[in-house]
Amino acid sequence: MKIRPGRVVAYIFLIFLGIVGAAPFIYLAILSTKKRIEILAQVPPTLNFNWAQVLKNYNEVLFSQGMLGFTLNSIIVVGAATAIAVLIGTPAAYAFSRLRFRYSEQLASTILSMRFMPPIAVAIPLFLMVKAVGLQDSYLGLILPYIAFSLPLVVWIMIGFFDEIPAEIDEAALIDGCTRIGVLWHVMLPIVRPGLVTAALFGALFIWNEFLVALYVIDSRAFQTISLGAATLVSAQRPIDWNIAAAVGVVTVIPILLFSLFVQRYIVRGLTAGAVK
Amino acid sequence: MEQGRERVTMSHASNPAQPTFVFGKRDEPGRAIWFLLGPCLLYLVVFSIYPLFHSLRLSLTDLTAATGTGNFVGLDNYRALLVDPLFWNAAKNSAIMVFFSVAIQLVLGVALALFFNLHLRGSWIVRGILLLPMLMTPIIVGVMWRALLNPDWGLVNWAIKSVGLTPPDWLGSVGMSMVTLILVDCWQWTPFVFIIVFARLQALSQDVFEAAQVDGAGPLVTFRRITLPMLMPAIVFAGVFRAVDAFRSFDLIYGLSYGGPARSTTTLSFFSFQNGFQFQNYGYAAAVAYMMLLILALGTTLMLKFVQIRPGASR
Repeated sequence: MKIRPGRVVAYIFLIFLGIVGAAPFIYLAILSTKKRIEILAQVPPTLNFNWAQVLKNYNEVLFSQGMLGFTLNSIIVVGAATAIAVLIGTPAAYAFSRLRFRYSEQLASTILSMRFMPPIAVAIPLFLMVKAVGLQDSYLGLILPYIAFSLPLVVWIMIGFFDEIPAEIDEAALIDGCTRIGVLWHVMLPIVRPGLVTAALFGALFIWNEFLVALYVIDSRAFQTISLGAATLVSAQRPIDWNIAAAVGVVTVIPILLFSLFVQRYIVRGLTAGAVK
Repeated sequence: MEQGRERVTMSHASNPAQPTFVFGKRDEPGRAIWFLLGPCLLYLVVFSIYPLFHSLRLSLTDLTAATGTGNFVGLDNYRALLVDPLFWNAAKNSAIMVFFSVAIQLVLGVALALFFNLHLRGSWIVRGILLLPMLMTPIIVGVMWRALLNPDWGLVNWAIKSVGLTPPDWLGSVGMSMVTLILVDCWQWTPFVFIIVFARLQALSQDVFEAAQVDGAGPLVTFRRITLPMLMPAIVFAGVFRAVDAFRSFDLIYGLSYGGPARSTTTLSFFSFQNGFQFQNYGYAAAVAYMMLLILALGTTLMLKFVQIRPGASR
């Protein structure tokens, strides 16, 4: 094979991109293994690891500072909110895709526009509502607003997937005596399974990093989510212990890393929900 | 739809807010639509629409956490806001951040998409790495960059110094902090533009490019006359989404600069947050948030004139 110089430059650039892209994460990981003092003394940080120190840092972050608990809280809150959003969003998307009724376009656009709503515009009322029914500082106090945040995204992703299925399939099932609900449940759901996965993944991602509403609703450490817990860990103590802050960063990146492995296949569909095809 | 279409008139048909439903099937009762749509609509009315109205009502009161019950003050908050230099400072910062973030991200995102379209071997690994920032918790992105840009021991300054240059005071100076914020936002969100434009690029038919080559068009002409126009829908879409999200963004600022120094990175989102959460001046915070909604509504209405949003509407 002939080696073309242009190709070589392209490969060098690709490797450069990879290194620059990964460097911040590797840097964070290295910082998280150091003693507080070493970060100030070693510039750039050296690569000799003291495993006792690594263990100490991560033990501190995961257990003493509670990051493991925060992660579990996030999984519970986001998992429940996403499940409910998919449960009530999917039938709505099916209706928008299949049934003809007046104002359906306007209604669908209104729902999409909610995806753009600044959380700052609803955080205070949501907090007052949650407080009024005594749900502040509880899982439910976060799950309820979070369903509303991910619902528009779920509806829009699912509309896209339902639109791809030929209406003849519905017609056939309806002629065979199936009801609309029956068609959705028995015929459509098995076909749109990739859509459900995409909607769930991106609905979850949309609220996984949510911070503002959590800041209002949650007071005690027992119910803090990842973003809220991480924020209080790295801003409450000043000056920051950078080795601890870096370990907090690594702990938050790990679920995202796992998530990104699943998400690659669906990422375009998930991100472009509502886009022209 | 086919024959037998029948008009089912709901009991509230005279009220224009209550749609009249038209169904294609006799065995499809009007109840089906309520069953399918009802829970979703009800939920959004309670947890999105109502809070928005509540916010509007708050913005017309002088409610603070201290007073407990707010008095109706009409448009006083809005009047105060329009002569508040801090509000205009935040509005200016938001405008700067949105404009430059989106502009840089669009250029870099398209460039990256074209580069990855070369289909180099192993490029999927690099693509995976480049997508990570977009999934990260913005607060952590902020903290991570505070470490990278630390004036005493940060990796970036070390790299700049080791090639003999003087690094700027990234987050410590009024002149530089906004630039830093924009750069970090670009680091996190250029991948978003990239992946959307790249997907579009993959979907383009190769025929046009071959035809252009046959006609003797050079790479620059091909890009300007063929590739770019065909990528435009994806670029506009990514631009609209990025503009709105940059305008809403708040957590990154919270983690990176906390609006400072000297309010140089205080955007409208952060300004509203400070009034609401820090000073507990709920009425004023709500008024700022409503100005944001107004700007968003105007902005998106303008932008949506250029973007088609309903998938399948063109069927």
